[in-house]
Parts: sequence; structure tokens; C-alpha cells
Amino acid sequence: MTQTHSAGTPQPAKRRRWNATDLGLIAVFAALVAASALVAAIPVGGLGVPITLQTLAVMLTGLALGPGRAFAAVGLYTLLGLAGLPIFSGGRSGLGILAGPSAGYIIAFPLAAAAVGWLAAVVIRRTVKFRSVLLFISAMATSIVLVHGLGIIGMMVNAKLDFSKAFLADLPFYPGDIIKNVLAVTVAIALHKAFPDLLVRRVRQLPQKAATPEAATPGAAAPEASAQQ
Amino acid sequence: MRGHGFLLANYVPGTSLIHRMPLWLKFLLVLACGMASFLIVDWRLAAGALAVLCGLFLLSGAGPMRLFRAVRPLLPILLVLGAFQWWQLGGPVAVRIVLNILLCVVAASLLTATTPLHRLLDGVVSLARPFQRFGADPERFALTIAIMLRSIPFIAGAFSDVRDSARARGLERNPRALVLPVFITTVAYARHTGEALAARGLGEPED
Repeated sequence: MTQTHSAGTPQPAKRRRWNATDLGLIAVFAALVAASALVAAIPVGGLGVPITLQTLAVMLTGLALGPGRAFAAVGLYTLLGLAGLPIFSGGRSGLGILAGPSAGYIIAFPLAAAAVGWLAAVVIRRTVKFRSVLLFISAMATSIVLVHGLGIIGMMVNAKLDFSKAFLADLPFYPGDIIKNVLAVTVAIALHKAFPDLLVRRVRQLPQKAATPEAATPGAAAPEASAQQ
Repeated sequence: MRGHGFLLANYVPGTSLIHRMPLWLKFLLVLACGMASFLIVDWRLAAGALAVLCGLFLLSGAGPMRLFRAVRPLLPILLVLGAFQWWQLGGPVAVRIVLNILLCVVAASLLTATTPLHRLLDGVVSLARPFQRFGADPERFALTIAIMLRSIPFIAGAFSDVRDSARARGLERNPRALVLPVFITTVAYARHTGEALAARGLGEPED
């Protein structure tokens, strides 16, 4: 599976295979997405509006691991959920999900993780300033295009709604998504500060073009990120 | 959540005809039901197909409670959807749409109710086999699945630990305090798992 997944995602020119640590990260982040679908929603803000953690975990997997490994992790989660493991939200599972109105969101998860991972890798490689803003823009763009786009298509196909109705049915998810993406970016920046080589290590192996001074030294890049936070 | 019990939730042991059916045949059945939901245009046909599948489900010995539990999470959405489409497109079409979704859900839960989890996972791993010539490695794939399964209870436990400690500090309304430590724990745990694998010579690519 590792190869079939990495085949479709951008890899460094000299493609190297995932080692044991990559395997551990893929497996544990897949478990993280599964666990975040099973635990209760967390309250946010003064009113304590509950938000579910699943899309947050998907986005953070992308922001933390980069495109290839994030696609593998979330793809593994989706594959096992479809195979019948009760790990989708609410303890649902099985291929029956694909017939329900929420099918589009489930299919979008691995693609969204890969897309936001790719954008995050570009942001961390190319920029020093305003990283949190750029990461938030990447996450929002991925949410709108992939998660909401495929979610709307899923409702149109399975529930036979027309576009405007499906769009309206999808609209209530936007406020929660904005909160989740803000949270995802703050956590991702702290995560890259705590583990500077989580994503940047791979960046350093890219051709010379990407080796700008700040990207080449992850230790120096991390404090810059914290200054922006 | 600290055990693996939740993984057994769906399987019902038994020796019925459906239990003994090979996995690929059951999978084809689910796939056929998925296709049927696009092809069936008459609600009476959909109701008949659904009745046949419900009969199969009850024949497998899983019982009507299981059947109800399989469709229960979808019922509120289906009620809203059915009412809305009844208003928009008329009765027969609305009934057909709802019945077709139920058909797929019952077929899929028939598969999971009659197949033990390890057989399902073996089936997933065998999906990687055709790609072996392109460098796919079913062994490492299976290893990754096994690590994921044993990590789910740990991560769910981390969520509840972090929630408890945030509450103890009066931060139960602070989402950052509720989420960030879980992710730090996750990455650290993944790294330790990777090191443990490497120390045992597992999980490294063979070339």
C-alpha cells in the first residue's frame, strides 16, 4: 500500500521509502483520527458550543506530516472504516457509509489531508513571515474546495438534492470549520516547534533550489514561527 | 475506551450460510447493492430488495435488534431527507431514495455482522497483493494496520487524561489546552513506536 499511495503524491526527486519512524507516524496518526471521531466533542468559547474533533484531526495530520504520509494515514483510517471497523463518527462503519448523505465528506478526508499537507510543506519551505496566516489560508482553501466541495457532491449524488439545496445543507458546517482551522494552525505551529524535524527534515532533502537559509536550518526556522504566533 | 472491546462491536458469531460464504462473495453482494441503488427506479422493487436483504440478515442469526442498531444512526437524517424529497419530488421518488440508502446500509452491515474482524483485515491486506510488483509490501501494510489498532485505545486514553488535567487547572473551556497535549503525546508515541520497530528490525524497507 505504501507504494500505491506514494505514487500519486509529490515526493522528493530521489524517492526514498518510508522507514520505521514514518510507519509509526502513519499508523499512530491514523489511530488519532479514529480516536478523535470516537471521543466526545469539546466545548469552545464562553457559551461552550461543542465542536467535533474529526476534521480537526484530519487537517492536523496534513499540517504535521506533509502530503505523502498524511494521505497514507488518513487513507488507512478511511479504508479500515469502510472495511467495517467502527471508527467513523458515532461508531458507524462499513461500506454502507458510501450510500449515505455524508459519503462525500468521508472520501474527501484523505484528499484534504494530502492537499493541506502539500500546501503546508510549501509554506514552511518558502516563507518565514506570517506562517500562521498562510497556513490558515491553506487549511481554509482545502476545506472549502475539497471537504465542502466533495461533501456537496456526495449529497447531490446520494440524497438526490440539487446543487443549491445541497449547498444550503452544507452551509451550517462553515462556522465550526473556521474555528477548527484556527485551532489546527495554532496546534500545528506548536507541534513543529516541539518537533522541529517532523516535516522540515524531509524538506531539507529537496534539491538545492529549496535550500534557502531559513529552510535549511530548522532550528532557526522554528523560533521565527513562534514570533509570528 | 482503554480496551479493544469496541473492535468487536459488530460481529455476531454463527454458522449460517452467510457466515460460511467467502469474503469476496459478500463483498460482491454489497457492491451489487450499491450499484442497484443507482439502477432501481421503482420504489416497489427497492422495497422488495430491502425485504430480501433484511430476511438474509435475520437468517444469519444476528437478530432484529442488530438490524435496528445498524440503521439507527441514519434514521434521523433519512426522516428529514424523506420528508424534504416528498415535498420536492413526490412520494414514490422520496420512498425510493430512502429505501435505496437503507438497502446499501443493510447489505454493508450484513457483511460486518457475519465476518470476524481479523478476516476483514486479512481481506484489506490482500488488496495490496496485486500491487506487489509495483513495490507494495503487504507485510509492512499489515504491520501498520496492527500498530494503528493497538494505538487507538492509547490515544483515546490520552484525550481523556488531557481533559481531566485541563479541568483540574480550570481550563476545560480552552480548546488549545484540550487538544495540543494530545497531539504532542501522539507524535512522541509515534516516534517511540518507530524506534521500537527499528530496534527490532521491523518495518524498514527491504532494499
